[in-house]
Order: sequence, then structure tokens, then C-alpha cells
Amino acid sequence: MADLLVQQAVNGISTGMIYALVALGLTLIFGVMHVINFAHGEVFMMGAFVTVVAGQGLLGLPYPLAVLLAVAAMAIAGWVIDLAAVRPLLNRAEGQTDVLLSTFAVSLLLADTVLASHGPAPAFAPGWEGSLTIGSLTIAAQRVLVVAVGVGLVVLLEMVLRRTDFGRHLRAVAQDRFAARAVGIDVERVGSATFVAASACAGLAGALVAPVTMFSPGMGHQVIIMAFVVVVAGGMGSVTGAVVCGVALGVFESLASVFIPQSMASVTVFALLLVLLLVRPQGLFGQRR
Amino acid sequence: MIGSLLERVLRRPGFLLLLLAALVPLVLHAPYWSSLVVFAAVLAILGQSVNLLLGYLGQVSFGHAAFYGLGAYVAGLMAVKLGVDYWLAVPVAVAAAAGVGALVGLASQRLGGAYLAIATLTLAEMFRLIAANWIELTRGPLGVVVLPQKIAPLEAIGIPFDRYYLFIVLFCLALVSLVVERLMTGAVGRSWLAIREAAPLAEAAGIATLRLRVACVTLSGAIAGLAGGLIVPKIFVLSPDLFGVINSATALLVVVLGGKATILGPVVGGLIFAGVPELLRPVADYREVIFALLLLLAVRLMPGGIMGLLGDRLPRRPAASATVGPAPVADSGKVRGARLDIAALSKSFRGLAAVADVSFSAEAGQIVGLIGPNGAGKTTCLNLISGAIAADRGAVELDGKPVRGLTPHEIARLGMVRTFQQTLLCSRLNVVENVLIGTTCVVPLGIGDWLTVGGALRRAEARRLALAEEAMALMGLSDLSEAKAADLPYGAQRRLSVAVALAAGPRILLLDEPAAGLSPAEAADLAAALRRVRERGTTIVIVDHNVQMMSDLCDRLCVLHHGTRLAFGTPVEVLADPAVVSAYLGAAPAVETA
Repeated sequence: MADLLVQQAVNGISTGMIYALVALGLTLIFGVMHVINFAHGEVFMMGAFVTVVAGQGLLGLPYPLAVLLAVAAMAIAGWVIDLAAVRPLLNRAEGQTDVLLSTFAVSLLLADTVLASHGPAPAFAPGWEGSLTIGSLTIAAQRVLVVAVGVGLVVLLEMVLRRTDFGRHLRAVAQDRFAARAVGIDVERVGSATFVAASACAGLAGALVAPVTMFSPGMGHQVIIMAFVVVVAGGMGSVTGAVVCGVALGVFESLASVFIPQSMASVTVFALLLVLLLVRPQGLFGQRR
Repeated sequence: MIGSLLERVLRRPGFLLLLLAALVPLVLHAPYWSSLVVFAAVLAILGQSVNLLLGYLGQVSFGHAAFYGLGAYVAGLMAVKLGVDYWLAVPVAVAAAAGVGALVGLASQRLGGAYLAIATLTLAEMFRLIAANWIELTRGPLGVVVLPQKIAPLEAIGIPFDRYYLFIVLFCLALVSLVVERLMTGAVGRSWLAIREAAPLAEAAGIATLRLRVACVTLSGAIAGLAGGLIVPKIFVLSPDLFGVINSATALLVVVLGGKATILGPVVGGLIFAGVPELLRPVADYREVIFALLLLLAVRLMPGGIMGLLGDRLPRRPAASATVGPAPVADSGKVRGARLDIAALSKSFRGLAAVADVSFSAEAGQIVGLIGPNGAGKTTCLNLISGAIAADRGAVELDGKPVRGLTPHEIARLGMVRTFQQTLLCSRLNVVENVLIGTTCVVPLGIGDWLTVGGALRRAEARRLALAEEAMALMGLSDLSEAKAADLPYGAQRRLSVAVALAAGPRILLLDEPAAGLSPAEAADLAAALRRVRERGTTIVIVDHNVQMMSDLCDRLCVLHHGTRLAFGTPVEVLADPAVVSAYLGAAPAVETA
């Protein structure tokens, strides 16, 4: 039993890292643009989809190339989403509400297009084969890759945010859009770059997860709800909160699925989110206003 | 005549819908068409529910299928498992959805913004998983079959099921539309619109904004539950898909495409979305893709929806009609002014002391001015007194009663009402509607306002209108009462913000730079108006930069500098104080008092 629990906890870390990567993009866009990109989960799904398609059939690309293709494609998707569904609405009186609606439409568009063309059947992408054995623990190499890439990405993001001009511009826009524009920062470009970076991040998460769990057209919808759980618990706009809560959520879900069916574990998580909103609306790490 | 009738029907079509509910079942016999109209009406009811949030409160729900599915499951399961008469189970389903709505409201409305979307989305997914996995109760994905529930007495006199089912659904739609329409033309709807356009103003004018937002989500949940309960005889089978995203998305689309913030919008949207799937049958696989594209295009290109093309059709009535009924009783015009005591009030922002140990008092009926250079902490001081920001330390007492820690609307209801430095108004509403926002402080929302009928409602609205007219007269706005707030010249907007506060019947008025940006003549007019307010007995605490106006107007001046009190006394004493002079002009040997 103990072995099983440890095994599940270790597997949970990589699942949680995926949640963290998706939540990170969501929280980054919220932090900088003060809008929720509801289509973010579907970008994750498309990342996995591109990886599956690129690895199979005509293209038959090796996994690393398929990942690169997925990341590049999703970076472009992020740029298009910003251009088509976010930027034109931001300056409206009720911009935030309209962006919620338009990105909701984009998410349905992506999910239903894939569903209608590919069908609901799950698909598999071959990833990094092999596994690591430590004592009684067996860890799939792909799961190690997920955690390693995830940690690397978070460190890179922190470096970019703290050390580079772009990071400073981004933080300036996040703090005060108006003032940032006044000192000559191209606010639209920063917004566009945020969308590109966040979407590339979600695409990467999708490409990494495709060999671990099966790809399915519904995975975007599932992951966006989990990502919401993560950002609400971690405090909207907080990078640390997203990573900590993402990993914690993955481990919790993984451990819970030992005792109850997977779907009931999700129900428990969702119920906990609603309870959290009732009793501690500022999130676990947020300050009481 | 025709034009004004059309105008009335477009804004307030409730009675027309009621008429249609009675007539349509008489002429519509073909089961295919009757079933289609039932579906359209259910979608329209669901649309009215979403519109309450999206159109009037300005918030998005991604999971309205949670309430819709809950209504269907509660009504259906009660009929199948407990043998309760289906038509009696529907009200229970509505109550259950209302209860869940109240919880969602509480969970989301303290944060506002996107949290309603997140909470409803999560709830819908949770319900879907439960419905799909609680096999003993719901048979999971297979679903529960609910046979058509006949009403025996009606069958006995030969009315077929199709006919009275259609009538019941249409009647429910008309009733829901009528209730929403009447709420929106009354004090409740006015408060919702005020919360949406200028929440801090609504709160400061004595509206319990959190409670009213939660009430809106509760009502919306109840109406969606009704829609769910009514759809069961049409679909026969309760399946977890009822909670699916496509239902939530359709509900949003019905409102966005039909036209948000209108009563007819959801009805038009409902008709379209009952018909569109029939038209799209050849490309059924891509139906949802087309829905998604439509939603995106509507939000981008036609944010007002189809009804929006006909202009602003917010349900409202000319203010004059509110006077119908008993003659308004104007209040006597005398106010019992309140005494304000501030002691050692302090507030730091991340270690930076914005206000430190500030104390002063205002006797009943006095005008006390807060002056000081920019950044001296005047506005922060006002925010602390009015409850907009929580103070770190110190005491705020109104007639000797501590009020620190109360919410702004509670403080407003105790008689202390504020205005804002930046002009904060509901720009889409006209002058009298803006001023009416303040009046629920004096004439609170009653049961009549919620039931939207009765003599008490008419009397309450008449009293509110009388209060508003008095406040407009005091601030010289009577001639502008029908003008849109956004179209007023700047000076009139400043006076309007004071009038909103006056309509709340303050015993003490807190004014934050009411004269900012006014010409000398306008400032003099304002000062004269404020003297009239004081003559009625109201105490005034005023922040302003205009030292000349302040020293003429105020009985006492309190000078703030770097967050601390530099001097407090009569204008002559204070302006002769060397510390004050040096704070304003730099150290100066020659003292020139104003």
C-alpha cells in the first residue's frame, strides 16, 4: 500500500506540473492584460493534437521535432487569438466581459472543430520511451521529462521577468497599462508577446502530456477547469502560487484516485474550489483585502 | 401614437408576451411546430436568466447549464423516483436551483469579475460528473426516462397534452419576462444597473451591493431551474449532457445574438436557436462549430445583438409615470445634522503612512474643511471615514456611535454619505435615474419592490421620486432631469454627484473636491448650494484646494500635511498659523492671511 501511495504521489508530481504549466499561462495573461483567456485550455489540447498528428502518418516526425512543431504552432495560435478575439475588444466599456465571451467562443470553435474532424476517440503519441527504477519505484522517462522541462521553464520565466528589458516592460504593463504607455512602452506588443509566450507554454504542456495520458478532444475543457482551480487557490496573477498549487493538485488527485474513481476525485476538487471561494475568496496565498 | 406604442412594446413587452401565451396555443395545432415553439420558449426563459447577469449585472456565466440541468433532474427524478406529480415538482426544482444560485452568488460576488464564470463552469462540470457516475440514482449516461406527465382534469375535458404543455411554457416565459421587466423599471433594477456602472457610487449611496448581486445570481439560478424543469416533457430523457457546455454556450448565444439588456432579446434569440439546429441538419456534425463562430462574430461585430440594432432598448419608463398614485409627501426640509468625531485615525500602505493620528470634530450643522497640499492624505482620510478603506487604528464616531469597520452602505444608511473626487455617475442613465440611486437609503427596498406589484411599491417609488426631485432642486438640476448623465456639461455632472448624495438624506455629507475643475462662477454657485444644504441642518465635511472658497464657506478648517494634522480651528486662526503658511508657500517671513 505504502509503495502504491509513493508511486502515485510521484506520478502526481508530473501531472501537477502539467496543471502548473497551463495555469502559468492563464495567470500570466491575467496578470498582464487583466483578462481571462478562456481558450487557453484548448491551446493545450491543440498542442497535444499537433504532437499526435505530427508523430503519425504522413509526417511521422520524431518526438522532439513534433514537440517543437506543436510549440511553434501554438505560439502562432496565441498571436492570432490576441489579434482576433482580445485586442479589438479591450478598449470597450465592458472589454473584460466581452473578452470572456469571445475567448469562450474561440475555445468552443477549437474543441468542436477537432471533435468534428477527428472524432471523440482518444489517440496516443509515442514519447520518450523507457523508465527509471529507484527501489520499488518505477518512473516513466516521459514523466521525468515533464518535471524537468517544467522546472526549467519556470526558472526561465522568472529570469525573463526579473532580468530582461522585456520582463520589465511586461511588469510595467501589468502594474499600470496607462502609465506604461505614457513612458513609451508598446503596450499592444507586450500584450501580443504575453499571449505568444503563454500559448507556447500551454502548447508545450500539451505536447509533453500527449505520450503520458491519451490525447482526446475533451482534454482542453478538463484542464481549463483544473487551471482555474489552481489560479484561484494560488491567487490570480501569482506565478509561485500557480506552480505550488498546480503540483499540489496533481499529487492530491493522483493519491485520491487510489481510493475513489478518478471522476469522483475531480468532483472532490471542484467542490473544494467552491468551498474555498465561500470561505477564503482571496485564495490560499492571497492577502485579505 | 403608433411610434410611442411601438417604443413601449420594444422596451416593455411583458403584456404582449402574456397575450401571445394565451393566443398561440389556440391557433398552433401541428405537434411539430408546437414542439418547436416550446423549445424556443424554454431557450428564451434560459436567456432571460442569463440576461439578468450578462445584460444587467454585466457578468458572464459559463455554466448556466448547472442550474438548467439541476432543474430538469430535480423535477424529473421527483416524478420518477418519488411519484410526486411532475407539475408540483417543478416549483421544487426552481427552489433548488435558487438555493444553489444563492451559494454560487456568495462564492463569486465578493470577488466579482470572472469569478462567476469560474464558479458556474466548475459547478456544471461537477454536476455532470455526478450525474454520469451516480448510477443508482441517474442510471449514468443511459439517462432516466420521464414519461409525459398528463394533467387529468384537462385531459378529461379534451385538451390534448401538447396544447396545455405549450400554454404552460409560454405562460411561464411571459411571467418571467414580465417580472424581469418590472424589476428593471423599479428600484431593484436601478440598483443593479448602478452596481454595474459605478459600484463604488452605489455602495456609497447606501445600496447593499453584495446582497443585491447575490440576489441577482439567486434569481437567475431560479429562472434557469424553471427552464430546466419545463424542458423535461419535451426531451423525455434526463441525461448528463443537460449539464454540458453546449447548453451553457447556447444560453449565452441566445442573449448575445438576441440582444443583451433588453427583454425581447432573449425571446428573439430563443426563436433563432430553436430554429437554427433544424436548418443545420445537413451539417449536424459542425453545428457546434457554427454556433461558436456565430458567438465570436456577434461579440466582435454586433455587441448589442439584434435588438441592439434598434437602438438602446433598456427596459425603463419615463420618470413622470412614477408619480401616478398617491401624491408624494415631500419631507419637511429640515434635517437633524449629525456630529462627527475623528480620533487618532491612521492608515499605512506597505509601511508608508498616508494618514497618521489625525483627529478633528464636526459639530452638528457645521461645515468643516479639510485642506492641504497634494498628497497630504485628504482623500485617504475621507475614504477611511466613509468606510471605503479599512483604517489601521483610530476611531470614527457618528453622534457618539462608533462606525469604524462598517461597510460604506451601512455608514451611508446611518446618515453619512460621501461624493467622489473623480466624477462617478451611471453615464447611461439620465439625471433623475442617477439621483434616484441615492433614495433607497431613505426608502429601502421592500417586499413590494421584489414582487413588483402592490400599492406599497407605488407609494415607495413616489416617495423616492419626491426625494430625488428635492435633491435636484437643491442642486439646480430640475430642468435637466431627463438628460443623460454622460451628455451633461462637466459643471452639471459635479452638481449631479452631490445631488445623488443628497437624495440619500444625509445628516452629514462628505464632499471630495466638489469644486475641482469648476470655473469661479460655477464654484460660487456650488458654494451657495452647499450653504442651502447646511441651512437645512446637514453637517458638511469638505475637501478642496480652493483656499479662498474654503475659508469663506467653512466654520472650521483642518490642515493636513504629509498625513498628519498641522492645524485645526477657525479659518482665520488656521491661515495665520506659521506652520500652515510654510507648508503651503514654503517658509515665508511675511504672512498674508486670506
